[in-house]
Amino acid sequence: MENDKLSRLLPDDVDRREAEGLDATWRMLDGIDAPTPDSDRMRARLDAVLDAVEHAAPATPPRWFSRSGADGVRFYAMQGLAAAAVLLVGVAIGRYVVPDTTRPADSSSEISAMRSEMRELREMVSLSLMQQQSASDRLKGVTWTGQLDRPSGEVISALLDALMHDPNVNVRLATVDALERFASREDVRRAAIDAVDRQMSPLVQIALIDFLVKTNERQSAPMLRRLAQDRQVNTAVRSRAAWGLQQLG
Amino acid sequence: MFTHSDGTVTDETLMEAVRKGDLAKLGILFERHHRALFDFLVRMTGNASTAEDLVQDVFVRVLKYRGTWRGEGRFDTWLFRIARNARADYFRTRPPDAPIDEAAEHPSGAPLPGDLLVRNRDVARLQRALMLLREDKRELIVLARYRGMKLDAIADLLGIEVGAVKVRIHRAVKELRDIFLRLNESPSWKTTNSVGSCPTT
Repeated sequence: MENDKLSRLLPDDVDRREAEGLDATWRMLDGIDAPTPDSDRMRARLDAVLDAVEHAAPATPPRWFSRSGADGVRFYAMQGLAAAAVLLVGVAIGRYVVPDTTRPADSSSEISAMRSEMRELREMVSLSLMQQQSASDRLKGVTWTGQLDRPSGEVISALLDALMHDPNVNVRLATVDALERFASREDVRRAAIDAVDRQMSPLVQIALIDFLVKTNERQSAPMLRRLAQDRQVNTAVRSRAAWGLQQLG
Repeated sequence: MFTHSDGTVTDETLMEAVRKGDLAKLGILFERHHRALFDFLVRMTGNASTAEDLVQDVFVRVLKYRGTWRGEGRFDTWLFRIARNARADYFRTRPPDAPIDEAAEHPSGAPLPGDLLVRNRDVARLQRALMLLREDKRELIVLARYRGMKLDAIADLLGIEVGAVKVRIHRAVKELRDIFLRLNESPSWKTTNSVGSCPTT
């Protein structure tokens, strides 16, 4: 490799003896190994993304696009007038209200558009991973939702679906964690209450009870009381439910 | 140029096809470059799982920003530019990964012959020194030593002159050697630098 000899990469005025000393360190760097990537798994993830992008629903033309005849002409005329009005208002605001910062505004709106596109793609990747056969991919998908700034309702629905139906306990547990961000939503809290009963895994049941206590969800009290008294329920779950009841007062 | 002398299609031609909508070609680019990207990112972050996520993120970005590919420069330089941004963005929102611990110095735990033991210990300390090195300096060493990138390609990637690259490599290796020597004097020596941290200047 061309860069094996450090002296070729140094400025010409470096002292020869110093260069030789540094070269020993440079050569020793060769001994540091790096792990090899799991190429198959990474390729599968990329293919999932490509698949999601290629099969994303094509944008359907708006309904007004198919208008025809007099209705259509009138409609387009109205649209034209509305557009002109918006343009005039925009120009007026630009001239009299907003200071002359056109360039920065342009670039900042471009950046925000790019960010928004990036967000959409990340969301698509998360959703796509959550539909994979491999549990570790689904787990990644659930974890990726934590990176989304403002996830859409579709992501929350996918998380709720995973909580209820994913066959893997680890995925369901990760989903409980991921849903904590949305604890302010009533549908999420309600789904958490429903899920406690449906879960077969005591671990997930306990995680859900903790979630309900953390979010102070008092509507879960009847369900917790029932669990705490049901002798057929796992002992750890029963005692957690009793503890949860106590916490909720 | 559309193909290499051996008949293989150039990266730039493949990327042009991706830009025009032939997304399957991204798979070929992935096969060609994911190992190099992973190696760069794992040496920069010290964490294989993070590096794997970042490689994924890089290709997602390539896909997303395929329209911005102008075909004016080398594809791998463009790709590494995206990788640097992805890595910087990643650590902007997360704390750095845990530094390499002492246990990593003896990964197998099995007894080694004298010379080999000393050499292994030295290499482990050098690895630790590399991770303690300031990030922008570590990046230069990784690009030049492990990726074998030419000086003009590094200059292009970092947006500086070739002469400046040489000066920075000199400083980086000098500092690496100093940290390594200090670690040898006192194995518990630590710097205020942390793994994965952003450059301070």
